[in-house]
Amino acid sequence: MSHWLYDNKLNLDRTSFNGLVQAWADHLPDLPYMMLLAEQRHHFILGFVAAQLRGQTVLLPSNRSAGALTEVAADYPDCYSLGEAANTIDGIQTIHCAQLPTHASTLAQLPPISDTHTAALVFTSGSTGKPQANPKPWHSLVTGAHLAQQRFGFSSEHSIVATVPPQHMYGLETTVMVPLISGARIHAGRPFFPADIANALANSEGQRVLITTPIHLRACVAAGLEWPQLEQIICATAPLPAELLTAAEQCLRAPIREIYGCTEAGSLASRQPATSLDWQLYDSFSIRQQHDDAIIDAPHLDAPVTLSDVIDVIDEHSFRLKGRKSDLLNIAGKRASLSDLNLKLNALEGIEDAVIFMPDDDTQNTRARLAAFVVAPGMTATQIQTALSQQIDAAFLPRPLYLVERLPRNETGKLPRQALLDLLTQRGKDTQPATDA
Amino acid sequence: MSPLEQEVAQLIIDAVNLEDVSVDDIEAEAALFRDGLGLDSIDALEISLAVSQRYGFQIKADDENNQHIFASLRALSQHIAANRTK
Repeated sequence: MSHWLYDNKLNLDRTSFNGLVQAWADHLPDLPYMMLLAEQRHHFILGFVAAQLRGQTVLLPSNRSAGALTEVAADYPDCYSLGEAANTIDGIQTIHCAQLPTHASTLAQLPPISDTHTAALVFTSGSTGKPQANPKPWHSLVTGAHLAQQRFGFSSEHSIVATVPPQHMYGLETTVMVPLISGARIHAGRPFFPADIANALANSEGQRVLITTPIHLRACVAAGLEWPQLEQIICATAPLPAELLTAAEQCLRAPIREIYGCTEAGSLASRQPATSLDWQLYDSFSIRQQHDDAIIDAPHLDAPVTLSDVIDVIDEHSFRLKGRKSDLLNIAGKRASLSDLNLKLNALEGIEDAVIFMPDDDTQNTRARLAAFVVAPGMTATQIQTALSQQIDAAFLPRPLYLVERLPRNETGKLPRQALLDLLTQRGKDTQPATDA
Repeated sequence: MSPLEQEVAQLIIDAVNLEDVSVDDIEAEAALFRDGLGLDSIDALEISLAVSQRYGFQIKADDENNQHIFASLRALSQHIAANRTK
């Protein structure tokens, strides 16, 4: 029988988990901040709760690029990192999960965690080039999990399998906090390829829930596999195209529900798109329109949050999503600010002028990629890509990246979108013969 | 480059729309991800789908050699040669 935290190698019930968390907590350094980089979900959950027991705050950088980690470490010099192996950051203490206990005696109950303790700082990439910290008090994470539990009916009868990492709000809520609060079992892995996802589900007991993204759903549909019985699929991070919704519900034989949220407020609404495209706010959230903005509020939030999307408020409890404000990108479920990416590209050594832009409609195309034109005499496209990959998440690396003599700036120095698209078409044609040769 | 490596290189280019790359640009031993072609994990998903359709087997990360399979064009081609059913 599988227990609360399980995969094919691991099987921890709550008392074993509690014991292990306490043992981890006892081994942590005496520092106020833990940068939690663990890729394996059980390491993440253990580290996350152990930090709370020690009264530490978990830092969750917006991505894994060396630049993002260094920036956060620079702002929180009294932090250490906890992770598996790959990520070491200059100047801060690194703890490897492998150095921490793998067995401990059971513990019936964990010591209480203070409601007002700042459990985590979740970072977003602001448009100014500086990461923005979003503080998450413990009580707000607990309330968020209760609200999700009410909406989706999670209980100890459920087993959750997730393809999403726990580092962002969606994964933190659905794969760490919901299992902690509702008692739903959580698969310790992060199955990636469709065959892995099917295996993880087949090895799960009770009511199976898949927590995923449109990208993974698309891969699952295309893989042509047999799927175990699922109770429901929860999808978030990017819009689910109508065609994919229909195909995925047929292929996986389960209803798909979508979550809407943001880093500032966490998950706040859901919908079952086969039934209605209107978003229903979680209980206790309310929404109002103020000029072009939609503002949401809830008792567990420190302050009202202005949503970064263009929204039509239907009533106090429901809304319709119209699109995104133009600076925000959503690629492969990851968000970034276009102006921030442009600042980072232009700041690279050897670059005289450069622009990153989105040629496609990324609200409709799950495979949309950024493109870039760069003026950088003496540099190759590969050198620029390599330098940029140290600063930004790989999903935002522009492809193609073309070296040009100058950008198509107009007389006011602006870069009209149409001029960029024309140049892209032109360069695409120019390189075609090279590909054929 | 072996004929299979050439074929897999073209499959990668098609799967992830590398409009500005040709087969000759891909080195058999060079890293596909990050510093090499700058591919990301979502690209790995695309490539895995193309591989399963073309060569008739599913790529899995369960056996923890995922990193190794996608280490280079040569590694991926060897994995395909060992597991293909068509």
